[in-house]
Amino acid sequence: MWSILLNSNTQWVLLSTAILGIAAGTIGSLAYWKRQSLMSDALAHAALPGVIIAFLLFKVKHLFVLITGAAISAVIGAFFIQGIRSSTRIKEDTAMGMILSIFYGFGIMLLTIANRTSGNQSGLNNFILGQSASMVQSDVWTMSLLAILVVSVVVIGFKEWKIYLFDRQFASGLGLPLKGMDVVYTILLVTTIVVGIQAVGVILIAALLIIPAVSARYWTHSFQAMVIISALFGGASGTIGTLISAIGNGWPTGPFIVVLAASFFIISLIFGKEKGILVQYWQMKRHKKQEIIQSIPTSVLKKEVQ
Amino acid sequence: MNEVVLEVKNLTAAYQKNTVLRDVNFQVEAGSLTGIVGPNGAGKSTLIKTMLALHPVLSGEVHFFGSTYKKMKKRIGYVPQRGSVDWDFPTIALDVVMMGLYGQIGWLRRPTKTHQRMAFEALDKMGMADYANRQISQLSGGQQQRVFLARALVQSADIYFMDEPLAGVDAATERAIMKILDELKAAGKTVMVVHHDLQTVADYFDHVLFLNRTVIKHGKTNEVYTEDNIATTYGGSIRLIGGRIGNVVHPVKQ
Amino acid sequence: MITFSKKFWGIILLCCTFLLAACNDKSATNNEQKNAGKDNNKKITVVTTIAQIGEPLSVIGGDRVEVKSLMGPSVDPHLYQATHGDIQTLENADVVFYNGLHLEANMVDIFEEIEKSKSVLAIGETIDKSKLLHDENNAVDPHIWFDIDLWQQALDAAVDQLKEYSPENASYFEENKVKYFEKLQQLKEDTKKLTEIPEEQRILVTAHDAFGYFGRMHHMKVVGLQGLSTDGEIGISDIQNTIDTIVKYKVPAVFVESSINESSIKAVIEGAKKQGVPIQLGGELFSDAMGKAGTEEGTYLGMYRHNIDTIYTALKGGSNTNE
Repeated sequence: MWSILLNSNTQWVLLSTAILGIAAGTIGSLAYWKRQSLMSDALAHAALPGVIIAFLLFKVKHLFVLITGAAISAVIGAFFIQGIRSSTRIKEDTAMGMILSIFYGFGIMLLTIANRTSGNQSGLNNFILGQSASMVQSDVWTMSLLAILVVSVVVIGFKEWKIYLFDRQFASGLGLPLKGMDVVYTILLVTTIVVGIQAVGVILIAALLIIPAVSARYWTHSFQAMVIISALFGGASGTIGTLISAIGNGWPTGPFIVVLAASFFIISLIFGKEKGILVQYWQMKRHKKQEIIQSIPTSVLKKEVQ
Repeated sequence: MNEVVLEVKNLTAAYQKNTVLRDVNFQVEAGSLTGIVGPNGAGKSTLIKTMLALHPVLSGEVHFFGSTYKKMKKRIGYVPQRGSVDWDFPTIALDVVMMGLYGQIGWLRRPTKTHQRMAFEALDKMGMADYANRQISQLSGGQQQRVFLARALVQSADIYFMDEPLAGVDAATERAIMKILDELKAAGKTVMVVHHDLQTVADYFDHVLFLNRTVIKHGKTNEVYTEDNIATTYGGSIRLIGGRIGNVVHPVKQ
Repeated sequence: MITFSKKFWGIILLCCTFLLAACNDKSATNNEQKNAGKDNNKKITVVTTIAQIGEPLSVIGGDRVEVKSLMGPSVDPHLYQATHGDIQTLENADVVFYNGLHLEANMVDIFEEIEKSKSVLAIGETIDKSKLLHDENNAVDPHIWFDIDLWQQALDAAVDQLKEYSPENASYFEENKVKYFEKLQQLKEDTKKLTEIPEEQRILVTAHDAFGYFGRMHHMKVVGLQGLSTDGEIGISDIQNTIDTIVKYKVPAVFVESSINESSIKAVIEGAKKQGVPIQLGGELFSDAMGKAGTEEGTYLGMYRHNIDTIYTALKGGSNTNE
């Protein structure tokens, strides 16, 4: 049973999903503090119509064309969200929910049309749930490039990202090019999303962007540590999820990765060193004990001594 | 006379569809400690934000040290409202103060031990040395304000803008902050503070700017801090308690 | 901010206009369909799901029928979702034929409904049950068109249905049917060339288990990456098992299918190569769908021959016994 781990295909999938997980966990931490976790999900869903339109327009299955289509569609989605938010009274999360469902529904409709005309051969269906099992050597390179890009941009400008997320106004006062950083951030996010979608699908990439970052929050009070832990959780979800799915008979990889990520979250929620439920419960108990000891009047204590 | 460090001419700004500032004109001299006061919605925060290019200008000009904001950024320090930031963000007090040094550290460079020392000293000045490694979410309101102030100090600016730094802080913090402001003034720096408490203006500031969408009156405290000016700014009737200004009653209509 | 929102609403308006225009187009085609049905009321409107049913019937029915197949080339019947337009087409038909045996998995309810008011026949289900293949979970293998004899029986049942519907054309249909069945027998003869493939190379590795009947008929071992249906994500073990089979039997070539995305087969090829088996892509086979209408591969006979030729060329050529 374990011999399957020695096989090239398993290794390709392992590496690809692990590296993608690291990249997603990293950029996901930034999205978390921008209060835009839902945005990752909205953008992932908004990318779908772009993929199909690109396919229908150019009639090629060339990955680069489809990914570009996905990116353009996602950016248009972001544009609409911004537009709704600034010109109507609708709040951001409502706007995101709207664009998510509208674009995604539109995408599914286009998918039906595409499937009827050129059939499932296009592989467009894989953009929804992904097909991690068929990853090959070239996918490992692609993911590595992505991860190197994301991680290096975040690490090099780490203190700049910190202030950009913590105190935008002060950052602007220091001369930090906020608009420029907005663009870089969006590029990193959209790139991660569209590269991730072609491998693991819309649903899963959103999970990798959101869950590891949230889980990391429960373990630390340092932003640096949170980004690192988030990347680790993302990578671990990919690795362990792939491992488990490889061992089973015909088990699909994608869902297992999501389940792993969710498990990390639940463990973090309960056992997290800084904010976990269990830890807070113990702390409270300890405080109560101290209170009780302190509230015993000294006269009583004196009596005891006598 | 002292050098004019800040000059505002015919400044107008809007917030969504409402004009919040109209025709604001004033000049500020070096070494002055000015309190900006006015009722709610008077545009005090907007004034600071507009001057610091955080809010769009509809018309008018702002000159710092005879030049534009962009060119003089390094000489300007800003302490925003405490509520403008998410204090849940995972970082320690020392890190926040270090942010004030980013301009000096340089973009994309790592902070050095020297910078760390400077940040620590600023915290010490604010009486927060013991809290340098404390998570900011664990600080009280007053302590957070001191961290913000330390961050501003470390910028070594020539003019400082502060948005309600004394709001919601304990008495000890209030004293500490005002002590620092006096030291800044003694060193020849200029400070402009949006102040929430009309009663203490005379105690703390040598200049007052009465603002209600436009400048009602601006000048030395002992000259302009009068019942009339207050009444005009706040548009309501005032009750005098023991000769000092007591409660200001705002009418229902503005 | 004001100009931004004007631009924004402008774009929304533009999108709405395009959508409306697209919708109008669709309703026009529907009207055309309806009128076509009414004009040629002499021809029997036959609607089928897969073209493997439709094309032979159009030959047998000749100019007395108008055949329309809902699922064109490259369409996967396992996953196909009927649209409102399809349902209209079905309702305007005189006779409806489908494969059944759970091939058109998402249309079961539709057929149950239409059966009530129309002549509907699942030709696959007319076959003697003992002749059907099952997988390890006892699910029925619906890909019966690859067994020429079984398919002949199924088509026969369809022709009977046509005769029943239109007795005045019965003898015409019978005549054409006999001619067509002769061609089927000729096809059967032509498949004998597969026996030239050496025993150890008679393994057919494809994207899904569509060739069970093919394998049984031509004495070949068949291995599909996916099971009987293309529904569901492929697992790592699926890929690995296929590679293991390839390595074990030193299979010279694998095949992609016209209705299925080829990335999984490509992964199998790359994985096998890594393990030292220089497996080739043998070519594209027609499994659930046939070729483009109007071409040779768009006919049942042409499609079958294409598969035979492709398999023959790929497997008869060298073997992989020496690295």
